[in-house]
Amino acid sequence: MVQISLPQNSKIEKGKYYKDKTGSKNLRKVNIYRWDPSTGENPRIDTYEVDMDNCPSKVLDLLNKIKNEIDSSISYRRSCAHGVCGSCAMNMDGKNGLACTKPHSEIKGDINIYPLPHLRVQKDLIGDLSTLYKQYASVEPWLKNSNTKSEKENFQSKEDRAKLDGLYECIMCACCSTSCPSYWWNGDKYLGPAVLLQAYRWIIDSRDEERKERLKKVADELKLYRCHTIMNCTNACPKGLNPAKAIASIKKMLATS
Amino acid sequence: MENKNPLSPHIQIYSWHISSLVSIGHRITGVINIIILTIVMFWIGSLLIGENFYQTIFNFLNSFFGKFFIIGTIWSFTFHSLSELRHLFWDLGYGFELKTANLTGALVIIFSIVFTVIIYLIGRVFF
Repeated sequence: MVQISLPQNSKIEKGKYYKDKTGSKNLRKVNIYRWDPSTGENPRIDTYEVDMDNCPSKVLDLLNKIKNEIDSSISYRRSCAHGVCGSCAMNMDGKNGLACTKPHSEIKGDINIYPLPHLRVQKDLIGDLSTLYKQYASVEPWLKNSNTKSEKENFQSKEDRAKLDGLYECIMCACCSTSCPSYWWNGDKYLGPAVLLQAYRWIIDSRDEERKERLKKVADELKLYRCHTIMNCTNACPKGLNPAKAIASIKKMLATS
Repeated sequence: MENKNPLSPHIQIYSWHISSLVSIGHRITGVINIIILTIVMFWIGSLLIGENFYQTIFNFLNSFFGKFFIIGTIWSFTFHSLSELRHLFWDLGYGFELKTANLTGALVIIFSIVFTVIIYLIGRVFF
């Protein structure tokens, strides 16, 4: 169901204001979405004044600085800090991306940071991705090949290998799926760009023997065809991949097979 | 157990891209086109009743609001047709690169306005 407005318990309130204590002249305001599960209060936006003279270049550095020096209670996921693990996916300046690869100099005005859109918030910037992981499991993302006894290599031509380029690089950060309006309104049934790109990655793999079954499985009014080529996914992908194209390729395969 | 945690903000905070604007525009103009076609059909039907109705429609279309209605109709149909053309190319598997998609989206917006002006002027001059 399309619900434009947020439910009552999700309405965002004005939060605390942390004034700068360093006396720096190069300050920026950072607005961060906060929600504490232990209080039963509504989410709020806390504003931090941050000394930009002593802050490295990425949004994640900014968050680390706030956590280390201003407010240690703030929660967010992060791990590799090099755009490889996909943990620090969040909504910055109205667009999904990885905090560790997004330079804060690209953002004009105040820096607004929210969790990934339309997820159940667990704490502050941490959203619940369990539905997405269940959907990922449903496409059975592993190689299906009956020839398991052979001890020889499973050959793949250069051309067939090239078909996986632009697909295998996906790190499942969920930036694309949570940027998709179709996934917001039908996230329980529509698989979303991230999972469909993964589904296509196995459909197109020349070593996989269950292409037909895989295609049959995703060929569903809700699972696949809720994609209306809005292209928010491709706009959001921090790895420069093209989920919209992958979904269109599945549709095309279904239409021509 | 139902998850009672708050829902993170979505459409309220997500910035608009050309592609998402054209996409929602495509849907809205699609609905408007159906409504307009229905109205036009009723008008054509009403001509069978007599001259008075023709005069009423004629007066309406020459009023300020009538002109707005005509221009709006032309734009709605041109926008939807051009955007549909873009969708047809997508269905063939072309035009998914981000640069291409942004360019074609901008072209849809620009040419829907250009064609609206041209079609309206042609209508004014020749009919």
